[in-house]
Amino acid sequence: MTAISLRGVRKSFDSLVAVDDVSLDVERGEIFGLLGPNGAGKTTMIRMIMDIIRPDAGRIEIFGQHLTERVKEHIGYLPEERGLYTRQKVLSVLEYFARLKGATRAQARQSALTWMERLGLTEMKDKKVGELSKGNQQKVQLVATLVGDPEILILDEPFTGLDPVNTRMVSTVIREQAAAGKTVLLSTHQMALVETLCERVFMIHRGRRVLYGHLDEIKRRYSDNAVLVRAAVDYRQCPLIARTVPENGTMRVYLNAGVQPRDFLAWLLQAGAEVEAFERATTPLEDIFIKVVQEGGG
Amino acid sequence: MRKILVIARHEFIATVTRKGYIFAVVGMPLFFLVIAAIPMIVETSGDGSSKERGAVAVIDRAGVVDFGLAAEVIEQVGATSDASSSLEPKKGLQLIPYEDLDRALADLQRRRIQACYVIESDYMTTGKVSVYVRDEGLFSRLNPKGERELYALLRASLVKGRVPEPMLQRVLRPVNLTSMKVSERGHVQPSESEWSEVTKLIGPFGMFILLTMAIFFSSGYLLQGMAEDKQNRVIEILFSSVTPEQLLAGKIIGLGAAGLLQVTFYALVLLIPSMVLVVTVQVGIGQILLSLVYFGLGYLLFASLMAGTGILGSTVQESNQLAAVWTISSMVPLFVLGPISESPHSALARGFSYFPLTAPVTMLLRISLTTVPVIDILVSVGSLIVGIFLAVRGAAKVFRAASLMYGKRPGLSEILRWLREA
Ligand SMILES: Nc1ncnc2c1ncn2[C@@H]1O[C@H](COP(=O)(O)OP(=O)(O)OP(=O)(O)O)[C@@H](O)[C@H]1O
Ligand SMILES: [Mg+2]
Repeated sequence: MTAISLRGVRKSFDSLVAVDDVSLDVERGEIFGLLGPNGAGKTTMIRMIMDIIRPDAGRIEIFGQHLTERVKEHIGYLPEERGLYTRQKVLSVLEYFARLKGATRAQARQSALTWMERLGLTEMKDKKVGELSKGNQQKVQLVATLVGDPEILILDEPFTGLDPVNTRMVSTVIREQAAAGKTVLLSTHQMALVETLCERVFMIHRGRRVLYGHLDEIKRRYSDNAVLVRAAVDYRQCPLIARTVPENGTMRVYLNAGVQPRDFLAWLLQAGAEVEAFERATTPLEDIFIKVVQEGGG
Repeated sequence: MRKILVIARHEFIATVTRKGYIFAVVGMPLFFLVIAAIPMIVETSGDGSSKERGAVAVIDRAGVVDFGLAAEVIEQVGATSDASSSLEPKKGLQLIPYEDLDRALADLQRRRIQACYVIESDYMTTGKVSVYVRDEGLFSRLNPKGERELYALLRASLVKGRVPEPMLQRVLRPVNLTSMKVSERGHVQPSESEWSEVTKLIGPFGMFILLTMAIFFSSGYLLQGMAEDKQNRVIEILFSSVTPEQLLAGKIIGLGAAGLLQVTFYALVLLIPSMVLVVTVQVGIGQILLSLVYFGLGYLLFASLMAGTGILGSTVQESNQLAAVWTISSMVPLFVLGPISESPHSALARGFSYFPLTAPVTMLLRISLTTVPVIDILVSVGSLIVGIFLAVRGAAKVFRAASLMYGKRPGLSEILRWLREA
């Protein structure tokens, strides 16, 4: 089932086209990555999904519906521009946001306390938000998106300002939410996290789609037909190989065009080599990102 | 609707627990009490002990004064001047015959007496009288105590025995005044004393002042709250849960309640002294209801304007500056308070009643003074409703468009474009 769908969405600010004819579907229960360089149009897309900015053209649907107030109750939104009532106490701010998502007073309190416990904020519940450290304010902000127990989480750069411990904690929470059937739309610049978290991604550059689909498939598409091998063998003997590059203890072997890795493995075995490791070399997402941006920037 | 109430409750609590609010609620009446108390303290301390209060020495070197008439004269002067114009009629003024100027001056210095008059021996030909008062700065000579009483006493003494007794009575008491009031429709009826006329107005006028204050306090809180939300960048989170209209409605209710609470408190503080002074505060029920209608409409209008303006500025201060446009234009009727109070049905008063920005204050004032013609009520309510409609729509539009423009202040042309589109 489709959780979020965009069709032909476009938005321009004066002469600048920030989002240009974008269509995409986010499926229920998946963690979907929204990628792109600075100023690509990610936040603008997210704001249009949240009906904070109206698109100039195109249609946006959440669970097949227009974004009504009812539907908003099922979305937890972490805006790029973080903001909380700095002069109020942490717990009461969180309760308030939960109530705005439609929770009763008791539910709101319960939910706020549970999530604060989960993210290690319990001792800070009676402090004023403005007195917390930046990272802790970030966590409070994240709790504010989670308190209403939403079906969809839309997180615009949730990892900025977090230390490695908290980054791990937040990505664990995201994974748990997806495992519980929640849908997560995630915009981030941390490619390593995208690789571990997301099943599918959408990459936008200058308002246009440049990548869209399963991460595995994209990585395969951008891999340069290489394998990582650890084996005692003389590679020069092999007719299937274009070149080799040693890479910390293993050898990155670039295969000739049209050659499948299993053909090379067959050759290795037939040559009687002791194969300790053999795996398909994939290009890190970061490299794909940079390549796409440079090509697109041309 | 439930969310509107959640917002209202949150805004109410956030406002009334603020230091600034508590200070305004408790501090303002205290401030006024202190201001009111200062003259009383000064007066009681300046007069010294009460038994010498109001004693005035008269040295009659011409032998013209009949001190036997003094008591009657003093009562007479007191009745015609003091009682109607001042809260507390001056009592206990005494004209005391002295023989010796030195003794009188010594008593003056010792504050036994307030003034000493010397009727010179050639008084009958020259009219010469000297007065001695303490040098207490600029104002001590302006109004020597007992002046009018002495003049009346001299007049009475001079004619006593030379005119028939009834005429002496008329000299002592030249007028026994009955005042009548002629209404616009030609009804003639006795008018009450000035004092009771004033007390009759205290209730309605107090209501006017308090409701006007409530409008501006509450819409001021709204302005402040909106600008703070923008500065704190919570608008985007709020809009991820509620619509701009819900946010606006919730804030208007919550902050309106905070403002009303504040003036209710002031009203109670004001009622206590008026009960002590046994002034019956009379306000007609119709007056109250009509005033509340204008309060409600006026508040809605200014609250929406303030909310829209609050979100335009990038800081609280900037929003305050922008909002001055509304505050000043709504205060215009107060600058012509005098003319409007004098003739509440003048073209000026009616004109201000028909224009939405000035209608609330003008109508609240007119209601407190007189019976306003039905046509004026209809026209002003109508124009206010139109004004509110436009202000609410404008505020909701500006909300949506401006809420994301952090740190930027939109130009006038941009605002106008939002109002057209959005
Ligand atoms: N309210 C606005 N008015 C004018 N231009 C805007 C507005 N919001 C965004 N833009 C422009 O639209 C483009 C896309 O901005 P957007 O914030 O969507 O980028 P982003 O992909 O989120 O970038 P980043 O990774 O830096 O957050 C940018 O060029 C930006 O300057
Ligand atoms: Mg962004």
